[in-house]
Amino acid sequence: MFTTPRLVAIALCAALNFAIGNIVYLVKLPMYLDSIGTILCALLIFPDRLAAIACAFIAGFIGVTLSGLVINPFLPWFTLTVLAIAAVSALLTATGTETFRARPLHVPAFVGKVILFGVITGIVSAVVSAPVVVYLFGGVTGSGTAFVVAFFLKTGQQLMNSALLSGLTTEPIDKTLQVLLAALLYRATPREFIAMLRPAQSSAA
Amino acid sequence: MTPNGAVLFGFLVIAGALIARDLGSLAVILAIALIFALGSRERIWSALAWSGGIVLPLALFMALVWIGIVGRAPAEIAANTEGSRTAAAFFVAIICLRLFIIAFAIQAASLHFAGWTPLRFVGALSAPPVVKKLLVLTLSLIETILQAVDRARTALIAAGLITRRHSWRNLRHGWILVQTVWLTVVTIAIGRTRDKWPIEDTLGRLDGALASNTPRLNSADFAWTALAIAGAAAALGLR
Amino acid sequence: MSEFIAGPNFSGRSAALMAWLRERAPAFFVGSYAEAALSGLSSTVADEIAVYRAPKPKRAAFAPLDFVAYSARKPPTLSGGEQVLLALHCFSLSDYASIAIDTALEQLDHENRERALAYLSQGAANGFTTAVIDNRLACPPGWSSRQFTSISSEFACDLATIQPPRCAAPVLGVQQLSFRYPGGRGIFRNADVSLAPGRAYRLTGPNGAGKTTLFKLLAGVLSPTKGELTLNGASYAPWRSGNRVFALATQNPDHQWCGATLAEDLARRRAALARHSVSLPSDGELLALVACLGIRSLDQHLYELPLVARKRLSWLWPLAGAMPWIMLDEPTLGQDRGTRAALADAIGRLTSQGYGAVFVTHDDEFAARIAHKPLRLARESIVS
Repeated sequence: MFTTPRLVAIALCAALNFAIGNIVYLVKLPMYLDSIGTILCALLIFPDRLAAIACAFIAGFIGVTLSGLVINPFLPWFTLTVLAIAAVSALLTATGTETFRARPLHVPAFVGKVILFGVITGIVSAVVSAPVVVYLFGGVTGSGTAFVVAFFLKTGQQLMNSALLSGLTTEPIDKTLQVLLAALLYRATPREFIAMLRPAQSSAA
Repeated sequence: MTPNGAVLFGFLVIAGALIARDLGSLAVILAIALIFALGSRERIWSALAWSGGIVLPLALFMALVWIGIVGRAPAEIAANTEGSRTAAAFFVAIICLRLFIIAFAIQAASLHFAGWTPLRFVGALSAPPVVKKLLVLTLSLIETILQAVDRARTALIAAGLITRRHSWRNLRHGWILVQTVWLTVVTIAIGRTRDKWPIEDTLGRLDGALASNTPRLNSADFAWTALAIAGAAAALGLR
Repeated sequence: MSEFIAGPNFSGRSAALMAWLRERAPAFFVGSYAEAALSGLSSTVADEIAVYRAPKPKRAAFAPLDFVAYSARKPPTLSGGEQVLLALHCFSLSDYASIAIDTALEQLDHENRERALAYLSQGAANGFTTAVIDNRLACPPGWSSRQFTSISSEFACDLATIQPPRCAAPVLGVQQLSFRYPGGRGIFRNADVSLAPGRAYRLTGPNGAGKTTLFKLLAGVLSPTKGELTLNGASYAPWRSGNRVFALATQNPDHQWCGATLAEDLARRRAALARHSVSLPSDGELLALVACLGIRSLDQHLYELPLVARKRLSWLWPLAGAMPWIMLDEPTLGQDRGTRAALADAIGRLTSQGYGAVFVTHDDEFAARIAHKPLRLARESIVS
């Protein structure tokens, strides 16, 4: 399962996850974008679904571990979320790879799939993340979620429900954007690299 | 202290922080982390400042939400009682102190290895060889990506596609920087994987370089681990 | 015996080099692409050396630089030449019996190139064999030579027909320019220089003197701590207004693409340039120029082109005359003698049409072919 090119793909996607925070800061974009590498890894390794889940999860996990050491120490707590995103990306989002790479681009199909897969990824991410958000952060992970959570709490919702509803409000938008970027990067990736990632003919490393 | 010991210590301190439910037990855990960090005297201040800097914005938003807007703690919401801002303040303080301990424990653990090269650190970890290779590869690619970001950003600013400051143009075109960096680094990786590594057996050489004579755990590790377990037990006991 | 593989671009030299290597594998290889001298497995110079160092090195170390002082540096941040010297240092400490270098020696300055060649020529005495491809060297004495002659015409380029329109480029003034990186040492202090159009300037100076920093200041990526730039005497602040003056060709051509295909890249650059330029080259003119540079299709995926072709394509906007000044960073890497001469002549035609040019290169033969003034960076100032 883990041939050398696949190890390289995992490392590239993990490094991308880590570095995107840096890029986002330099270009002054008002968003976070920490799972693009995870989604992209699944797209690259598809159609080998099991390998895609494993490689995407490892890429995401290494990304959050290294980010946890240097940038944000609370990211590693969302490891289950990373696994969930890897699974959704490998089993669902990756079914759109042909559309993503089609030349010329068929815009309605591309946009439709990005939104559908993005929203589903966002919902799954919100549900899996909610317990961590509640226990570790008291429901508030930053400026984006603070006021949404406050609104739900003020209306008498329990904390877990508020965190879940807050996540369901913000995550689908965030994840749709990340699926879009991952799809664009996948579209641009050279054929040679994708061909290298096919399973080895003989037994792999 | 060995890297394995530091990882173990970090896990135990963080576990203790998660078990702790009140300010008293969290203070015990924090004290243990501080004692541990005192070994790296000069860097302890930057570690404290960094951890504080990470937690402070979260603390402000949490205070705004729980004390300012909601005015009661989650337990009071669940029990459907009137509640008080004081209870909310305690809730926020516990969460923030826990977050601070987690951030600081990680920094304190890595302080002990500030002079180590990444290869030496990863080599000393008890982990499967493929995991060590991945860590080393990722760390190397991060440097390549960051260098590519710097160069590509220069070129794209010169071309007028992105700007130095916040702008709508950056929202529209910022993704091009990500794409250029990705493709640049993939191209470098293709060259290495196709040509350099098979000819040199570079990955085989890496295995040799990662082989380490450092013991998996030493006496310092056992001492700190015992202290961390004692702290966790104290936290459990104080609940 | 050391082998020198000679011939023009696209004549099969690299394939021959790879075949030479495969016969002797495992062998040390420095390719032609960016960061090819690095293993890709280390994030510090010390670790890079540790990866290759044999338990008992059998030969003397080749150490033209003090690599102990470089220990904590990150390999991708080293200059191309420093990376090549690091690779040779690692090779000297390893137990490989063969080394092959594909045009990477072109990134070295004259002095270090001589040192590297002297070291590689001693292979027989030090227990290793060498094969080198290099576009600037002749076969060194004592080496065997293999000559390739027939060229694949797929990427044939013809720069002779490039004739940019007339341009009245502005005089570029640098006045009391000071710059310091936050937390770092000063790069420029009260630097003053005036760059006249219709001329080429060669930027020289040791590593770390500020060549990249000057490029970034002129392109508006960095803003100076003090001082200003002027265009024909009027204040010019590209860090605020955006770059209106320089067409930049980066050292690694991949850093400057604005799309995955050539069509995307051209369209985006045209749209961005339209905000500033008075007259843009027409679609037809751009297509003709692209063909001159050896690319036949606009749907070409840029990163699937060979490196030599990508490097040529990076000259497109400078040679198109879209901006009054051009800035070229090591433009001739990997290019054979004929192409380098043709590029030098094309730059000469640009300056004679009124454009200004600033370039950085280790290629003395290329520089000598362009009538230019040296611009030396030293001791925090710019000396014309």
